[in-house]
Amino acid sequence: MIQINHVSKRFGELEAIKDVTFSVPKGSIYGLLGSNGAGKTTLMKMIAGIYKQNKGTITIDGEPIFENIKQKERIIFLPDALYFFPHTTIRQMADFYRHIYPKWNEERFYKMQELFPINMNQKIHRMSKGMQRQVAFWLTFSAMPDVLILDEPLDGLDAVMRQKVKNILFQDVAEREMTVVISSHNLFEVEDLCDRIGILHHGSLIIEKEIDNLKTNIHKVQVAFHGQAPSSFFQQMDVIYKEYRGSVLLCIVRGKEEEIIAHIQKHDPILFDLLPLTLEEIFIYEMGGKGYAIENILI
Amino acid sequence: MFDLDLRSRKPIYEQLIEKTKEMIIHDVLKPDEQLPSVRLLAKQLTINPNTIQKAYRELEREGYIYSIPGKGSFVANKKEAIYDEKVKQLEENILKLCQEAFYIGLKKEQIFSIVERAERAIRGGEEIDSN
Repeated sequence: MIQINHVSKRFGELEAIKDVTFSVPKGSIYGLLGSNGAGKTTLMKMIAGIYKQNKGTITIDGEPIFENIKQKERIIFLPDALYFFPHTTIRQMADFYRHIYPKWNEERFYKMQELFPINMNQKIHRMSKGMQRQVAFWLTFSAMPDVLILDEPLDGLDAVMRQKVKNILFQDVAEREMTVVISSHNLFEVEDLCDRIGILHHGSLIIEKEIDNLKTNIHKVQVAFHGQAPSSFFQQMDVIYKEYRGSVLLCIVRGKEEEIIAHIQKHDPILFDLLPLTLEEIFIYEMGGKGYAIENILI
Repeated sequence: MFDLDLRSRKPIYEQLIEKTKEMIIHDVLKPDEQLPSVRLLAKQLTINPNTIQKAYRELEREGYIYSIPGKGSFVANKKEAIYDEKVKQLEENILKLCQEAFYIGLKKEQIFSIVERAERAIRGGEEIDSN
């Protein structure tokens, strides 16, 4: 369990993180979203114990993480820009990891050769960007971390490799209850990866929710009537947004699917469709209500 | 065993629940048959195990499956619940079709005559003619 409590961080004049509070339960995959410069990496570096926060507390399983070697042995932070020692091979890098991480699993390291088709005696700095990322995941998964912090992890991996990496990640979550924090600026990517998400904007956490709950009680309704929509139609319905497209009324409605269907059918529509929203649409409407325009937050 | 549509607007969690229910209703999964474990499904489908866990919990809450600690999840023997679900599905389909029929201008009598023809076909086994 990672607990972040009223955390702030400033760099000189810049207030990078402002009073952020959230928690990630054990065995959960948390997606941290936000545009460039929103504070994702700063926050992740604090969770990994690389930066020290100015205010607030960050604990993993109840213990503060900063300068805590015992906790850090269980954590791996995979940064956006990877770092390997100059002129090392994968094998040499693995030997280094083995000495740092007590849970290092040599057997797993060898077994994963099947997944990552790279010769382990090759020098890492000669490899392509995508291959270097594969090496990073290979080493990370072999170190068997309890907490994994990934900054834009899938950038540079091809579709097949993404699927492989996701698969191992899910297996580790299912079997060992590994806790994962993933940052991304891509909603589609986190949608089928995470169970909870938070959105950072200018250093503040503006939305924090469970993905499935986010999607279950909100619907897109397309409906048309003979003439205007009856005024009683909008009553007893939690309409977040409405818009006429010709004679078709489009609205975003909160509530239970069956109740909405029953309510709408009472008004004899000539056309009626009810669709679930995509995650992207949910944010457009949710954040529109809070005075944010989605284009400024996500790309 | 499952095949999910990751591109669909429907949440994966709902798709999992619906697919499992469908398989139970259509007897693909038999009573007391063991469902695949969360681990196995996460691996096979490359889906977040927490999503699968949640879907299983919901299915258990609705009485479609039961779980034995340490052994896994099994299909419940609930003929009545399944029958009710089938009736509900049929009702919805008939309602939708009737609405469509009214919309294009069919009269109530015409729909009733279709119902009668269906009844005759089931009872007497006679051919449905176009009249």
